[in-house]
Amino acid sequence: MKGDKGSVLVMGAGIAGMQAALLLGEMGRRVFLLDQAPAIGGYFPLLDRTFPTNSCGVCFMSPTPPAFCPIYESRLHENIELFPYCEVKEVEGEGGDFRVRVFQKPRFVDPERCTFCGACMEVCPVEVEREFGGGLEKRKAIYLPFPQAIPHGLVIDSKSCIRCGECVRVCGPGAIDLEMKAKEEVLQVGAIVLGFGFEPFWAQRKGEYGFGRYRNVMTSIQFERLLSTSSPTGGYPIRPSDGRRIERLAFIQCVGSRDPSSGQPHCSTICCMYATKQAMMAKDRASDLRVSVFYMDIRPMGKDYERYYERAKREYGIEYIRSAVSSVKELQQSKDLLITYVKEDGTFEEKQFDAVVLSVGFTPPQGIKELAHRLGVRLNLQGFCETGEFYPAETSVNGVFVGGAFRGPRDIPETVVEGSSVAAMVASFLSSVPSRREREYPVEGALGEEIPRIGVFICDQGEELRKNLLMEELVERVRGLREVVYVGELKRVSLHEDLNSIKVKIGEQGLNRVVVAGGSSKEIRKRVEEMARGMGFNPYLIEFANIREQCALVHSGFPREATEKAFTLIRMAVERARRIQPLRRGSHGIERKGLVVGGGVAGMTASLRLAEQGYEVFLVEREKELGGNARNAFYTIRGENPQPFLEDLIYKIKSHSLIHLFLGAEVLGCERKDGHYRTRIGTSEGEEAVDHGVVIVATGGREIRPKEYLYGEDPRVMTQREFERAIHVRDEGLGDLRSVVMIQCVGSRDEEHPYCSRICCAHAVKNALRLKEWKPEVRVYVLYRDVRTYGFYETYYHEARAKGVIFIRYELEEKPKVIREEGRLWVSVVDPVLMGRVHLLADRLVLSTGIEPNDHRSLAQVFGLELNSDGFFKEANPKSAPLDGLERGKFFCGLCHSPNFMEDSISQGNAVAARAAAILSKERVEEKPYRAYVISRLCCGCGLCVTVCPYGARVLNEEGKAEVIDALCEGCGSCVVACRNAASQQQNFEKGLNLVVLDSAID
Amino acid sequence: MRFSYFPGCTDRSSSMEYGLSTEEVFKALGVELVEVEDWNCCGAAATHSLNRLLSLCLPARIISKALLSGLSSLVVPCAGCFSNLKRTEYVLRNEQRDRRVIEEIVGFRYDPSLEILALLDVVVNRVGLERVYERVRRTLKGLKVACYYGCALVRHPKVTRFDDPENPQSMDRLMRVLGAQPVEWSYKVDCCGADLAMTYGSIVRQMVGRIVFMAREAGAQAIVTSCGLCQMNLEMRQELGLPVFYFTELMGVAFDIGQRERWWGKHLISPRPLLESLGLG
Repeated sequence: MKGDKGSVLVMGAGIAGMQAALLLGEMGRRVFLLDQAPAIGGYFPLLDRTFPTNSCGVCFMSPTPPAFCPIYESRLHENIELFPYCEVKEVEGEGGDFRVRVFQKPRFVDPERCTFCGACMEVCPVEVEREFGGGLEKRKAIYLPFPQAIPHGLVIDSKSCIRCGECVRVCGPGAIDLEMKAKEEVLQVGAIVLGFGFEPFWAQRKGEYGFGRYRNVMTSIQFERLLSTSSPTGGYPIRPSDGRRIERLAFIQCVGSRDPSSGQPHCSTICCMYATKQAMMAKDRASDLRVSVFYMDIRPMGKDYERYYERAKREYGIEYIRSAVSSVKELQQSKDLLITYVKEDGTFEEKQFDAVVLSVGFTPPQGIKELAHRLGVRLNLQGFCETGEFYPAETSVNGVFVGGAFRGPRDIPETVVEGSSVAAMVASFLSSVPSRREREYPVEGALGEEIPRIGVFICDQGEELRKNLLMEELVERVRGLREVVYVGELKRVSLHEDLNSIKVKIGEQGLNRVVVAGGSSKEIRKRVEEMARGMGFNPYLIEFANIREQCALVHSGFPREATEKAFTLIRMAVERARRIQPLRRGSHGIERKGLVVGGGVAGMTASLRLAEQGYEVFLVEREKELGGNARNAFYTIRGENPQPFLEDLIYKIKSHSLIHLFLGAEVLGCERKDGHYRTRIGTSEGEEAVDHGVVIVATGGREIRPKEYLYGEDPRVMTQREFERAIHVRDEGLGDLRSVVMIQCVGSRDEEHPYCSRICCAHAVKNALRLKEWKPEVRVYVLYRDVRTYGFYETYYHEARAKGVIFIRYELEEKPKVIREEGRLWVSVVDPVLMGRVHLLADRLVLSTGIEPNDHRSLAQVFGLELNSDGFFKEANPKSAPLDGLERGKFFCGLCHSPNFMEDSISQGNAVAARAAAILSKERVEEKPYRAYVISRLCCGCGLCVTVCPYGARVLNEEGKAEVIDALCEGCGSCVVACRNAASQQQNFEKGLNLVVLDSAID
Repeated sequence: MRFSYFPGCTDRSSSMEYGLSTEEVFKALGVELVEVEDWNCCGAAATHSLNRLLSLCLPARIISKALLSGLSSLVVPCAGCFSNLKRTEYVLRNEQRDRRVIEEIVGFRYDPSLEILALLDVVVNRVGLERVYERVRRTLKGLKVACYYGCALVRHPKVTRFDDPENPQSMDRLMRVLGAQPVEWSYKVDCCGADLAMTYGSIVRQMVGRIVFMAREAGAQAIVTSCGLCQMNLEMRQELGLPVFYFTELMGVAFDIGQRERWWGKHLISPRPLLESLGLG
């Protein structure tokens, strides 16, 4: 049995699961990361680009840390053990002590022996649809799930395999064993995380769109695959029926969303955005493409999404058609598709397209219902996991937690937030603090001055390399390079053995520099460096040359030229190896305390989670009272009362011994030193300075004060929040109410606030329903631009319409007019359905005002955080680090991040606590190896490098010369580029060194 | 093999050729159709929009008469009749209160063991395509047909419980067995306009025009139907001159049944030239 009561089982290795596992691993927990698929990553590896930045999605390879590839990280993390292709058979025990029986399905291929020659896949007679990419391509019964699959190994799918044995016959290394048996293992864990994710809606169920019948109708999953640069067309959008270029493309939204008749009453939240993204990508690839999107309401309500949608319309000319599609018909001669749709005014139109993409919605994973039932986890009506509104990471079972799309449809940033949030809840639940294992390394010998003795190790990698490279010749030529004293081949039996042979040779041959030539260094670098450190060899004296992916594979069929290039790549690596110097990484201690600014729900949640994990917290609140905006919330759309929750939270904060509360206080200044922060806090009693290792900003936002529609001039005009209070206290003024008009997007999606405030649609629906409950006879009109009741909020929108609330759409160019006439309020608006102006009597006019951030400018300056153009804090990476400042240890959450529901603020509060704890859990933080330094005599003190450094790792010292703060330097190289005197240099990437290496390439 | 048989009004009037061909084809297959005694109109496409109860009681009376035959299955050739009878069956099976009222009015006890089947369903799934194939005397080689099911035969799927509501295949399979070539097309379940033909001819002309145009676009030489009203609309309101058959007529051609000249005389667009061009005259 593996594990103990402090270990964690994460089921589902998608984005949420990987995020939770990585953070728990960083906190020192042992994590078992399980997935039923043969490769981890969920839907993540399918994405070529992600919205709203259109940056590469496959590995979040943005140049600035904390960008990372969660798949590789999970694979390499020392505290994470992967269980791919596994299923949970049985769960016994209870929260704090579970025994989980895990069943590992046989892969039938031994990854240690397989050389990826591909002979088996060629002879396999069985062809089925490849799951990856929604069946756009075919695969064999023996297959690699997708090109970058991790673990990187072939697998035989026993369902379609006919056991003909052909693959066994042709497999040279004998890696295939059709008799391989399933393995069972028992794990002991204290907590379980459910990250099952989602499944795309089965598009065949909507027969009227013809998926599976018309070849040029694709699902969005298939189209995503088609647009991927690794697709068979290289990302160029062509028609499946005849391979012709697509000129007219249609997207049909809400396929399996907002559709009670297919059992899918919810909104899938992300389809508007992904369709917009796919439309833009397709246009990027083929600029003469015309794209039409058929939609009901457009819902880009995440941070910076509205702008993205506007850009798609304006810059890309994508046509959005508000309509209901009644049918898709295929023309038989051209295989074009005719879409018939009914417009808002009730008239029908028809358009012809080359191809149609169905934007399929989210369904809960179908296979886990039984497992959820056995665990006792309650699911909602749609089959997603149910959680309390104020406890978003907790399932109905003690010790079982949930995050991500298994809880309902959500986008990547939210999923990353929830994966982090669940990590915090698990860490709080497993109270015992794990003991950190600090590994001891032998002292490294003094290296650097002596004559280089270089050993080159070339990974054989079996057939694959031999087929495309002339190995013997390559080895001979490398032998002839200067200062290369040893050339060896690694047989690639197993990484462990290969490392051992490098180790032995270093000793035998007295090597002081090593070059490893083979596949991508990504997977082995960490292990190689670890091996080196273990034997007292400086790991930065090892160089890698990629002669597989970047040479043999891309130039297959040209062995002569490929060999020449491989030799050049190795020569460059050798040249580098001759000149590089051993690097020593410093480390600095961490002040294991946190500072939280802002005592609203988000800030308090973050504080409490940190304190529960044993870290001291300084909580600073400007007001005399805790609670923030939540003090004015009286009921939620699901009918719960936030006030008891808030009281309980405040009580816990006030009574926790590790939380130091500063009420009526302000942050005056903050200085950094070696990763420590010292912040001065001003209170009525004077000033106090506190030291801490992380900063969490949760300074909130506020309801926008409307400047139009007679607000402030007529007492009958109020905001939703004021209306909520009036309903809650059964205000007598509402006694003879007959008619209420609500206007949406007041102060949102306009020039002054060009973003969607996300919560106002559901807020209006909530108040309308409450009012209808109290006074069913009152007429309620909601004037809207798009109804954005995303996710499960959609069911309440549906309910409101069923109860007689009337929704009338208006255009930004033709806003409703409010008229006061003989003491009565009238709202006049053009109704696009009736195609005329209607006049509504309003006993009360309720304005759905947007949310704006508080003024964070001075705070942003104090903490060196950036604001976006709307005044919200700007994240390091909107996908992978949505709550993180650029500089390590700085976070923000709640309304100062973006407009959000209380539920999301709680998730964010949890999430920043986890991300902060991942830093605080370590005694010391290692500095980055390839840091920048300044050649003082060349520095003219212009300060350019100080300006460009994204991490605040640069200062001008008293002499007016630039200086690097080692603890903060991330080694990005920006300063090197900026410096005009070549005074800024980066260790082992010095200008001279780089030039010599380049010279060796062209010599 | 015996079935209780409700021909419906049209089989004796506007779609007489459907009725005649059905009876002769079944005779050839050795399947006996026992006509329901004293049957009445099913209410057609008008009653349900005027009086819901009446629209249920008229088919219920037919069901009550069919029950008297003692046979377990009732066959209905016309898709409109089929739809009305199935809808009534659904109510009788699932709505207890309505069932009592209907039984009271019609004066019978409903027995759910009686199944109501479309004629096409009986040919394809009860008689079976093998038995049909054995009876084929000359294959319809070279004949490209667009199988048109109309809207009532397969919808609502919960009520009719027959074939795929968006892309039905029964008739296509039958045509293949007869040697004809059914074309792929997307309009097999579109509405022909039904009895709007009498009141709003222009609407029907538009709807039929689209269906016939698309059948020809798909390469069909003729359309095959299974409903008297559909056939009439498609023939009467089109301008392209595409012949429209009942599936039983084409079975008759393949079975080489002698009296078929009588059927062709009932068509507004004569199928003779087409059949002759393929040597099937």
